[in-house]
Amino acid sequence: MPGPLAPPRNTPPAVDASLLADDAGLAPLLASRRVILCVGCGGVGKTTTTAALGLAAARRGKRVLCLTIDPARRLSQSLGIEEMKTEAQTIEPARFERAGVDVPGSMTVMMLDTKSTFDSLVASLAPSPEQRDRILGNVLYKYISTSLAGTQEYMAMEKLYAVRSDPSYDLVLLDTPPTANALDFLDAPERLVGAIDSAATRWFVQAFQSSGKLSLNLLARSTAAVLRGIGKLTGSGFLEQIAAFIHEMNAVFGGWKQRADAVASALRGPDVAYVLVTTPDPLCVREVLYFADRLREQEMRRDAFVVNRVHPVYGAIPGAAEIAAALDGSGLALGPGAAARLLQAAEDESRMGKLDHLNLIALDAALEDEQTGGSVRVDVPAFPYDIYDVAGLARIADVLAPLPGAAG
Amino acid sequence: MTSAHLALQAGGLGQDLPELERRRFLFVTGKGGVGKTTISGALALAFAARGKRVLVAMCNTKERLSAILGTRPIGQEVTHVAERVWAVNISPDKALREYGEMVLKVRAAADLVFDNKYTRTFFRAVPGLFEWAMLGKAWFHTTELLPDGSPRFDVVLLDAPATGHGMDMLRVPKVILDVAPPGILRRDAEAAWAMFRDPARSGVVVVTLPEEMPATETVELVAEIRGELGLPVHRLIINGVLPPLFSPEERRALLVDPGRLDIAAPTRAAHTAESAIVAGARRAMRESVQHESLGRLRRELDLPTVILPFLFDEASTVAGTRRLAARL
Ligand SMILES: Nc1ncnc2c1ncn2[C@@H]1O[C@H](COP(=O)(O)OP(=O)(O)OP(=O)(O)O)[C@@H](O)[C@H]1O
Ligand SMILES: Nc1ncnc2c1ncn2[C@@H]1O[C@H](COP(=O)(O)OP(=O)(O)OP(=O)(O)O)[C@@H](O)[C@H]1O
Ligand SMILES: [Mg+2]
Ligand SMILES: [Mg+2]
Repeated sequence: MPGPLAPPRNTPPAVDASLLADDAGLAPLLASRRVILCVGCGGVGKTTTTAALGLAAARRGKRVLCLTIDPARRLSQSLGIEEMKTEAQTIEPARFERAGVDVPGSMTVMMLDTKSTFDSLVASLAPSPEQRDRILGNVLYKYISTSLAGTQEYMAMEKLYAVRSDPSYDLVLLDTPPTANALDFLDAPERLVGAIDSAATRWFVQAFQSSGKLSLNLLARSTAAVLRGIGKLTGSGFLEQIAAFIHEMNAVFGGWKQRADAVASALRGPDVAYVLVTTPDPLCVREVLYFADRLREQEMRRDAFVVNRVHPVYGAIPGAAEIAAALDGSGLALGPGAAARLLQAAEDESRMGKLDHLNLIALDAALEDEQTGGSVRVDVPAFPYDIYDVAGLARIADVLAPLPGAAG
Repeated sequence: MTSAHLALQAGGLGQDLPELERRRFLFVTGKGGVGKTTISGALALAFAARGKRVLVAMCNTKERLSAILGTRPIGQEVTHVAERVWAVNISPDKALREYGEMVLKVRAAADLVFDNKYTRTFFRAVPGLFEWAMLGKAWFHTTELLPDGSPRFDVVLLDAPATGHGMDMLRVPKVILDVAPPGILRRDAEAAWAMFRDPARSGVVVVTLPEEMPATETVELVAEIRGELGLPVHRLIINGVLPPLFSPEERRALLVDPGRLDIAAPTRAAHTAESAIVAGARRAMRESVQHESLGRLRRELDLPTVILPFLFDEASTVAGTRRLAARL
């Protein structure tokens, strides 16, 4: 069972090499920032990177909180995290010990759940229990709280905003939801605010309130025509229902816009780092570069690029005869024709490795142009297996932020 | 040899499967990055080769189908991309407007509604409206007729968004039936939903990879599509299957020394004969995972299955797409 909710006190890292600078890879970010966001397209390894960075920081004595989304079942199982639970769960130190990983700090995981975050936001802001229940029980709320574009992204940030100054943690890491388009993440608050609290929705709500559905003709003629047009499409009463609901949401969330602004500006603070995760896939690289440009436009940092799952290139691979000789010496008992098949395996993987390197040229070029000169790039090799336990995360942590004095 | 190997050598399992291309509307769905767009392109080529007129509809994405089919970029207008194959990248704004024009009949009325900056923002607030606009537009293409009365497209393939958003999209007609009062919107949602649920006219093609997490998620996805949505699933496509190089005994032998799986091993072994043994061990690991995942998918999903090969550096090329199409 996870230990008590309050993580153990911060203890200094027990590293002999404390005289060496801890500045390789993303280590400086772990030391200097309070919040780190990992962003990227779907399936590139955001959750894995977030967890590995969390472990890297905990190994350095930090008390880390990882806000995560949908970790692979096997990973959460091996960390001892209950899947459906949305409260903070601190990983038992014994799990690290068993994997032979020295962790003087602590790692706490909190599963992000859009609906429960939204529900608790409503519950905490609603002026009366009646109003809270009315909203939570609304049919439209059910859909808005789960499937309105941007809700998931916004709620992730909302949660981050809520925990970022919690004194029980030194570092908060945010894993972002899978989006086809990484940019969705940055635009989410604006979109959600636009949806719930904007001139447009106010206009609608007012139109319906002052008119009711029977007195459209009291409104400006153009407004009435617009509403009648939409009503024809949606059937009668539907829009009124939506407007009434939005009105109610607005009343409860009153300062929704200010709140979203506060969240957005918190994400711009000097203690926040952005880690852009990609694979060598050209479309993903392109996406991450767009995202980097957007961050720059908004004068936000783009602190690090992580290229995940880079395949190896084996260099000049010897011929089958030489491989056969090496096989004999290795004591491996393989079937007939094994040397040719091993050669094939090396060639196949080298082909992928070469393609990866070609695909990364665009990223190289973009980073060379980098005016700020501040971004770090770390390439994480493709492991031949899934990353599903502490040992695997530690291997990735070694690549992302090698401990001083460690080999390599 | 494994059954995957046999299937690869036999050129897929396509022969004794009920014909997909008799359906008018197919959703291609699956987890992000598993190859939905690639497979949509390959299916379109395969159906076209059998004489069908096919439309591939994408949902407002950064489209990569043009690279996959080797054509000009595909935009918001239906474009002819290969013999008997058309493609379109549906824009939700445009689809919604066209829908509005169709319903309101009078263009000026539609202008009034859609050129109003308030309504435009407001529409974004209505959950599922854009998804419906795109889905409805794709469905509408199945109803279009040529002057001679035959359908404009025999098959419409919807390259659906990745799992999460894709499920939201599939759910929309159902949501409309749940919440919308009687009206045009509801009427159309009913018609579309009736088609989607009819296994003779429509259905879902699920794409996955022979890896642990995608396999797990696919089992759940299929249960959700069949259970919660009640939609027919016609095919499981397992994409990116490596031709196995090693027997189970050889895999075990290659995996004995964990040092070979260390991520530093390829660099240490570069330029030496050991590099081939390291590559062999890495491949053996992948093949083991693949073997287990294929086994699980077969055991847990009772679905007609097609296995498609991993394309190495032919991925995202026309030649690669044609190779996949030949197996479909
Ligand atoms: N360097 C790597 N080598 C091998 N496998 C990896 C590597 N990084 C991640 N993986 C595996 O890839 C899969 C996807 O990783 P992960 O869940 O972290 O991606 P994600 O970006 O969070 O996905 P999503 O967008 O769906 O949330 C996992 O099974 C993970 O174990
Ligand atoms: N059989 C295959 N062998 C090797 N690579 C493949 C294969 N099929 C697809 N790919 C590669 O995998 C990547 C993802 O493919 P694709 O874009 O078709 O997936 P998708 O499911 O549509 O992704 P998204 O969820 O982002 O829309 C591409 O780089 C593509 O070239
Ligand atoms: Mg994730
Ligand atoms: Mg796609």
